[in-house]
Amino acid sequence: MATHAASASREVPGEPTKMSTSLVDTASAAIQGFGPINRIHQHLCAFHFYGDDMTRQVEAHHYCAHQNEEVRQCLIYDGPDTKARLIGLEYIVSENLFLTLPDEEKRLWHSHEYEVKSGALFMPGIPGPIQRQDMEKVVKTYGKVFHFWQVDKGHTLPLGLPQVMMALTRDGQLYDHLKADVEKRHGVSFEEEREKRAYMKGLEHGIHPLANGGGKGVKLVIRETDCKPPQQQQEHHETSNHSVPRVFV
Amino acid sequence: MASPGAPMSVKQSLLDKGAQLMQSLKPIGQMQQHACTFAFHSHDMSRQIEAHHYVARVNQDILQCVVYDSDEPEARLIGMEYIVSDRIFETLDEDEQKLWHSHAYEVKSALWVSPRIPEVLAKLELANFTKIYGKFWCTWQIDRGDVLPLGVPSLMISAQAVDVAQVDQEKIMRRDDKYNMSIDALKQGRVEMAEPEWINPNADHWKQAGKGFVLEIEPTEMNAFAPFP
Repeated sequence: MATHAASASREVPGEPTKMSTSLVDTASAAIQGFGPINRIHQHLCAFHFYGDDMTRQVEAHHYCAHQNEEVRQCLIYDGPDTKARLIGLEYIVSENLFLTLPDEEKRLWHSHEYEVKSGALFMPGIPGPIQRQDMEKVVKTYGKVFHFWQVDKGHTLPLGLPQVMMALTRDGQLYDHLKADVEKRHGVSFEEEREKRAYMKGLEHGIHPLANGGGKGVKLVIRETDCKPPQQQQEHHETSNHSVPRVFV
Repeated sequence: MASPGAPMSVKQSLLDKGAQLMQSLKPIGQMQQHACTFAFHSHDMSRQIEAHHYVARVNQDILQCVVYDSDEPEARLIGMEYIVSDRIFETLDEDEQKLWHSHAYEVKSALWVSPRIPEVLAKLELANFTKIYGKFWCTWQIDRGDVLPLGVPSLMISAQAVDVAQVDQEKIMRRDDKYNMSIDALKQGRVEMAEPEWINPNADHWKQAGKGFVLEIEPTEMNAFAPFP
């Protein structure tokens, strides 16, 4: 059974913020320029599931900035409020740029066509007609997501390894209760929106067979390796094959 | 170096502006501090990067940081760092602790700075920073020349008081020039800052083991109840 991110424990360990600390924080925010942060211009809500486990589904709130017309970079939080935890990031690129990626890389990326067309990806608080202007673009993109904090497991700290995440690609994948919950909280209807987005054209070349894990599951494993300090590199070039595969969490 | 892709269209800029005005973006508003520091790839310490952290406080013991390659509006999002107090760190299991790095040297030697903040103010908070631990995943290896984010995240480690973990003078000078600061003066001012009595030896794993970590993709089956993709 998937645990919904929003219903998972929000009890992050740690002391409440001290008054002196929050004064420093507030002063800093006022004095420092927040260049890249000020570029963040939109909030998208969607679902991710783990690259090797569709049964673990997470509601993901994306806060995105455009690098240019074809590249977006997004921060992913587990909710839309001030207490939200930063759980990962997503890069979004145009179909053209995706096609330039090495084949090995492509399987880490997922298509957005179904997510957009089904109405499951939406911009909270934005009127449909305006939202759809941007969705017409998102529908033709690919995304690459890593999560670092497995809130659906009830982790109160960001433990373990980064997780490659995938997204919805067809009907029947998203848990009904997660759908109903997000629709209620944000006052949206995926079904109604699906009809209104029916006109949208997806990827020019269709969904690439190597995207979405290439049809397989994807997970990351960690292994120890020599750390190659700078002078060692100059002195001798032996590479060690002694690295031991390690299993984490 | 700019990312590949067409420049922003007027229509997209307008859409973005509109969304920014209509949506509340509350989590983003929690970022309260900008810190500049340096980090090394754990699997290849000959590669070091300048990192700009935008820091949000979860509570007194936990910080969540978004990391960019500069503080310019067009900066690239290159990773994330989580920071926890020593109190929390001691509760983690050993394998987990090996992924984290200490910050004492980085702070005391003024590699970690708060640009544009008077040092007097910055020090109030940095005093706590000598005891904290960080876990930093780099997701866009621009130092490798990647024009798009490629591959799997790279675990990063902090500068330490040993030769192999020293930041290039050139990088430091460029930073000092940009922010009109002097690492020597700052370092001097931080001499009195208390050093932690104990740094858990499981952190900074490379120092003990001479080994870094790499992630690899393992093809596997998708645990699924519906067809995928």
